[in-house]
Amino acid sequence: MTARFERAARAAWLAIAVIAPPVLAASPAAAQPRRPPPPAPSAGSWEIGGGVVWIRGVDFGEHTAELTRNPGTGTGPFDLFTTTARLTEGVGFQGHLAVYLSRSIAVEGGIRYTPPKLRIHISADAENAADQVADETIGQYVFDGSFVYHFSHATFSRGRGIPFVAAGAGYMRDVHEDNALIETGTEYHATGGIKYFFDARPRSHRFGMRGEAGFSIRDGGFDFEDKLRTVPIVMGSLMYLF
Amino acid sequence: MTRRRWAAAICTLSFLSVVPAAAYLKLGTNLGNRTVTLRWERFPIRYFVTNRDVDGVTAQQFQTSVTRAFATWHAVPHTQTSSQFAGFTQASPLRGDGATVLGYQNRPDLDRTLAATNFVIDTVTGEIVESDIFFNSTFLWSTSESGTTGRFDVESIALHEIGHLLGLSHSALGETELRAGGRRVLGAEAVMFPIAFSAGDISDRTLKADDIAGISDIYGTTDFEQETGSVSGRVTKNAAGVLGAHVVAFNPVTGKLVGGFSLSADGSFVIAGLEPGPQILRAEPLDDGDIESFFDASLTVDVNFHVKFYELVVVVPRGGGARNIEIKVTPK
Repeated sequence: MTARFERAARAAWLAIAVIAPPVLAASPAAAQPRRPPPPAPSAGSWEIGGGVVWIRGVDFGEHTAELTRNPGTGTGPFDLFTTTARLTEGVGFQGHLAVYLSRSIAVEGGIRYTPPKLRIHISADAENAADQVADETIGQYVFDGSFVYHFSHATFSRGRGIPFVAAGAGYMRDVHEDNALIETGTEYHATGGIKYFFDARPRSHRFGMRGEAGFSIRDGGFDFEDKLRTVPIVMGSLMYLF
Repeated sequence: MTRRRWAAAICTLSFLSVVPAAAYLKLGTNLGNRTVTLRWERFPIRYFVTNRDVDGVTAQQFQTSVTRAFATWHAVPHTQTSSQFAGFTQASPLRGDGATVLGYQNRPDLDRTLAATNFVIDTVTGEIVESDIFFNSTFLWSTSESGTTGRFDVESIALHEIGHLLGLSHSALGETELRAGGRRVLGAEAVMFPIAFSAGDISDRTLKADDIAGISDIYGTTDFEQETGSVSGRVTKNAAGVLGAHVVAFNPVTGKLVGGFSLSADGSFVIAGLEPGPQILRAEPLDDGDIESFFDASLTVDVNFHVKFYELVVVVPRGGGARNIEIKVTPK
């Protein structure tokens, strides 16, 4: 919402305030005037949305099936075969529900689901077995909470667009194929993006879309090593503000 | 009944049956129409050591090494085994006198046998009541902490033989090459592989994942069953089962290898004692040792197929099993 629009709105409210008493005095039995809800977003507004998410894959590197070598037949371990593992990029769904604490600040909870594949390329077999790519699908769920800050003073397109940044943490649940095994962890994320409302007029109910990109930091869940993994993440949503 | 370990070639006698539905191989015996796993029921296992010195190793040094080897097996987590050194004896091993005896015998006729283990079992229950291990003093031995070139390490060989004493048969987790005079092991990832490493090596003083899975399968506590899982399925060739295929499960996260066999005509295999997580499965013919090192000579083992990897990552659940896996191999 622009400063010029805010000044106009204040003037309109002032005019209503000046005019209203005589009207009310002349007609005491009339219904009390209903104050129109403030234009969203404002403190107490809710936002619900959902859409798609893309998250980049992770290389787990090379892991060799090694036998202990008999001394005198060479040096180093005897390699039975070699594997190269990668968690592919994942495209899935996400949804969120936010409540505004002020025009600029909101807190939101969300859920994300992506089904990347664990893909293992097997090669260099000691007995010349044909190379093989073995894979499985891992369902990755993240239940998260975030603080969202909107740059209300930096709107554009006549108030339709609002830049924002978000950061938060979540509970991560990686489910292997057929629910064979569940591995959990913590996810941290930081994103930035734009919310764009389809209607420029400030209303209490608004539709729009939201696009954001940033980083997701994974601690735990399925991994080959006990280390933090930072991967880019991109999300796009349709949203409803009320 | 014996299990022999050869320095350069395999020629282990297999009078006992192998027990299906297990990884690695467990020793079993046929009681009527059922096969029973051989295991000790009473602990600690009381053992004697023959009071005989050989070149380079005193009886006392021998006993110290053997006791360490017993302790290595007893230290496997989530298992319940124990033993107790009962004293030195003038008795030789392999006598069937009711006492478990470990010691040297001079057997130049067994010029490729480093050591052997025999059993006396209760033919009703399958309980092991006595097991002797002889070490062939025809070979040169050492108990040196870091090994001695040209001498076989007592503790390494004892660890293998005590694996038999506890009820384990041979593992096929190794690769060999044929040379003049016999088969040479290139690498192995199981103390229970039937062919010894070169003299002077001490790497078999440490149990590998395959050995641990095997002993845990026999003596594991309920914790072991809850914390590990299994894979099971069939190895087939032209839609028919393959008997005697060696199936290896490799966990790329931990790097651990555990092997098993298809032990029935329909090609069924089970590998138990696996850590939960993804596994790569590899089926290979049993061509790195004499068949008799692993199976009863009456079995017709199929070795006519190419090594094959299973096309899916198999995820082992905690306390459960990944089932219905079919590894389709092709004839050579």
